[in-house]
Amino acid sequence: MLGWEYPPHISGGLGTACEGLTKGLARLGVRITFVVPQLMGGEDAPHMVILDSYRGFGKRSSSKKKKRAVEVEETSEEESIIEKIKVPAALSPYWRPEEYERYIARFSKLWSSKAEDGVEEIDLAKILGKRKPKPAAAQYGSNIFEEVEQYATNVVAAVHDSDFDLIHGHDWMTYPAAIALKRITGKPLVLHIHSLEYDRSGSGMNPRIRAIEEAGMQAADLVISVSHYTKSMVNWQYKIPLEKICPVHNGIYPKKVTEHHRASWAVPRKIVLFLGRVTYQKGPDFFVEVAPRVIPHVPNVLFVMAGTGDMLPRLMRRVSELGLSRHFHFAGFLKGKQVDRMLSISDLYVMPSVSEPFGLSALEAINFNTPALISRQSGVSEVVEHALKYDFWDMDRLADLMVNALLHDELRAEMAACARHELGKLRWDASAEKTVQVYKRALQLPRSERPEFRR
Amino acid sequence: MPSLCCYFQVHQPYRLRRFTYFDSSSSFDYFDHEFNLEIFKKVAEKCYLPANQILLELVERFDGRFRIAFSLSGVVLEQMKAYYPEVLDGFIKLARSGCVEFLSETYHHSLAALIDEREFYEQVRMHGQTITDIFGVQPRVFRNTELIYDDQIGRMVAGLGYRGIIVEGCEDVLDWRSANYIYRNSQAELPLILRNFRFSDDIAFRFSNQNWEGYPLSAGKFASWIHSLTDSADVVNLCMDYETFGEHQWSGTGIFDFLRGFPDEILQNPAWDFLTPSEVLDRYQPVGDLSFPRLTSWADEKRDISAWQGNRMQKRALAAVAGLGALVRNSGDKRFWEVWRKLQISDHFYYMATKSSADGDVHAYFSPYGSPYDAFIRYMNVIKDFKEFLSVPFITR
Repeated sequence: MLGWEYPPHISGGLGTACEGLTKGLARLGVRITFVVPQLMGGEDAPHMVILDSYRGFGKRSSSKKKKRAVEVEETSEEESIIEKIKVPAALSPYWRPEEYERYIARFSKLWSSKAEDGVEEIDLAKILGKRKPKPAAAQYGSNIFEEVEQYATNVVAAVHDSDFDLIHGHDWMTYPAAIALKRITGKPLVLHIHSLEYDRSGSGMNPRIRAIEEAGMQAADLVISVSHYTKSMVNWQYKIPLEKICPVHNGIYPKKVTEHHRASWAVPRKIVLFLGRVTYQKGPDFFVEVAPRVIPHVPNVLFVMAGTGDMLPRLMRRVSELGLSRHFHFAGFLKGKQVDRMLSISDLYVMPSVSEPFGLSALEAINFNTPALISRQSGVSEVVEHALKYDFWDMDRLADLMVNALLHDELRAEMAACARHELGKLRWDASAEKTVQVYKRALQLPRSERPEFRR
Repeated sequence: MPSLCCYFQVHQPYRLRRFTYFDSSSSFDYFDHEFNLEIFKKVAEKCYLPANQILLELVERFDGRFRIAFSLSGVVLEQMKAYYPEVLDGFIKLARSGCVEFLSETYHHSLAALIDEREFYEQVRMHGQTITDIFGVQPRVFRNTELIYDDQIGRMVAGLGYRGIIVEGCEDVLDWRSANYIYRNSQAELPLILRNFRFSDDIAFRFSNQNWEGYPLSAGKFASWIHSLTDSADVVNLCMDYETFGEHQWSGTGIFDFLRGFPDEILQNPAWDFLTPSEVLDRYQPVGDLSFPRLTSWADEKRDISAWQGNRMQKRALAAVAGLGALVRNSGDKRFWEVWRKLQISDHFYYMATKSSADGDVHAYFSPYGSPYDAFIRYMNVIKDFKEFLSVPFITR
C-alpha cells in the first residue's frame, strides 16, 4: 500500500483514513506493507509493516527482516523506528506549489536554527534524537513534483521485487509510484481517491496534478472513491467509467469521550468550530460571512477557526474589517489531543465545504458528542442522517440552522445522541470489508484486461 | 352473532411554509397553502374520491347491511371545503345513506388532551358543532387523536357525556384478555371499544408487503380469518387511516378490489354483520373493567405517545406551544386562537421524531421535511415569531 502520510504526522484526513482502513484490513487478515515517503517518528502501526521509502531503499540489503515486505509484524522491536530516520519529510500534499515553496523556505530556516516548534508543530528535536540533521533539500527536491518523483523512484527500488499480490495507492502523490510499480510487476492496481484536484482547487486546478490523477485512474484496474459524491466527480471530471469506480465510505473507530473538557470553560460561551485547511475547498469564507448574521441572535457565540491555509490571512483581515474579532478565535493548526479537546468543547461543528470528498472530521466531531452542520456537497452527508445539512451556497439556510442549533439545547443534544448512535454502523471494519471485495474483484479481472508492462 | 365494526380516520394537517429564524410575518400566515392544496388534491384523487365512490356503491348494494364510521378532523373538513368541495359532497352523500356514523375528536387533531384540559374541551366542542352543521348528526362516540388514551383521558371524555370511546387494543394492557369485546373504564363508567391492531394492520400496513406470510391478501382470505373468530368475539374493530385506500396502499396493489369485495365475503357467513360504534354499544355490554394506567395510542411499535413526545425536541416544541395559551387567551383576538390551534396539530410533532428502523420509515413517509431537525427548526421559528407578535401590547398592534 502506497501512502503519503500516517498519524500522528498528518496534514488532513488522508493519514487518519489510512490508519483506519489498514487496521480494518489487517483484522480481516490482509497483510500490508505501507510505504510512506519518510517516517516521522511516533507512527504506531503494529498491525502492518510501515516502510520508509527512502530507508527501505537504503536498508534493504542490510535488513533481512524487511525482505518480505508484505509480512505483518509487530513494531515493538528494541530498535525504534524513530532512530532510523534520516531526513524529515516536508511534505503536505494538499498545498499548492507556491505554498509549498514558502513552507520549504520557512522550514530550512527553522532547521538551521534548530527551533523546537515547527510549522506543523512537529517536534523536530524529538524525531531526530541526537543525530546530526542533514539539510532537507539534500535528499528531496524542493518542489512537490520532485518529491513525488523521488518517492516513485524510491518505492520502485524498495519493493518492486517483493512478494505481494496487489498495489493500493492513496491519492495523486502516490500515483506515479503506483503506475510504475504496476508496469514493472504486472500486479493489479487499485487507486483510492480521498480527494481530487477539483475538490482542492476548484477552477484553479493545477494541470499537472490533474494529469497525474487522470493517468493514474486510467492505469488502475479499479478505483475506490470515498463517497458516491466523489464517484460521480471521478466519472464527470475524469471520464472514468462508472463500473470501474467502487465507493467505499470512510469509517471511524470511536474514541473515548473526554467530557470534562466542556466543564473547563469558565465563561459560558457557545462555540462554533471550523476545523480543516483554510482553503477554497473547505469553504472557510462562508464560515466567516455567516457570523454577522448569527451574532446578534446568539451574543455569546465564539467562532473558532482551527487550521491553516492560503485563505487564512485574508479571512483574518475580513474578520477585523467586520469588527467581529471579539467573536473569533484563530486557533492555528491543531493535532492529536488538541483536536480531540477542541472537538469536545465545541457546541457545533461546521463543515461548510464547497466540495468535500468525504469529511472524516465530521465523524470525529460526532464521536465527541458534538453535533455537526455539514454541506450536502460532501461524502459524509451520504452516511450520516442525524446532522444539519445544507447546500454550501445557501447562506440563508446556514444562518438559520446555526442560530437554531445554538439556541436550542434540545436540538443539539438529540442530534448528537442520535448521530453518535449512527457511528456504530460506520466502523472502519465495514469499509475494510468493502475494500476486500474490491481487491477480490481486481484480482479476478481477466489478465487480458490488465495491460502488462513486464520487463 | 358477532359483528365487524370499521372506522376510518380522515385527516390532513396544515403544513408550515418555509420560515427561517430571520423571517417575520405580520399576518402570521405560517402555512403553505399551495403545498397543502397540492397534497390534498393528490390524496383526494388517489384516495378520497375513488374510495368514497366504492363505499357509496357498497352501501347502496347491501341496503343497510354494510355500515361504517368515519372520524374527520375539523382541519381536513376545512381543507375539503377550500380545496376540493367534491370530496365533501361524497361524505355528505354517505351520511345521507344512514349507514355511516361520524365520530367525535378534537377539531385540530391535536395533543390538547395532554397539555390543556380546558383547551381540549373547547376543541372537542368545536368539532362536534362542525360535524352537526355539516352532516346533521351529533357525534356520540369519541376517539382521541391517534387513539391517545389513558384512564385520565377516559374521565375527561366521560365528563363530556359520550357513550363510549375507541382505544387501541394494546397487548400489555389487555394482558390475557381479548380485544374483541367491549370493556369499561370503571372510574368513569365509560365503555371502551378496542381496536384489533392485528387485523387492522394486516390491511393498513402489510397489505402490499410481499415478504409477509399473508401476502397476497384477498378479501376471501381476510374474511376467513374473521370468520374463524365466530365463537370467540363480540366485535372485531378495524380502525385505520382512510388514506390506506389508494394512498398508503396504491391502487396498483389491489387495495380497491379488496375494499369492493370484502363486505360480501364477510356477509357470506350469516353469523356476522356490520355495525357502527354506536350500534356496537347498543348491542354489546362490557364484559369487564379495563384500566389503562399508561398513555397508549395506535402509533408506532410501542403504542404509546413516543411518536409525538419521544424526544427532547418534541417535548420542547409542545411545551412552547402550550406556553402560548395564556398570551392567546389574553389577546381576545379570534385570529390568534386559530393560529395557535393550527400549531397544535399533532403532525407537527410527529415530524420531529428521531426514531430509527421501521417506525422511522413510517414517520419519514409522512414528513414533508428532510429531517426531524428541519421540522423542529421551522416549528420553533414560527413559534418565536408568533410569540413576539403576541407579546406586543394590544394598543400598538
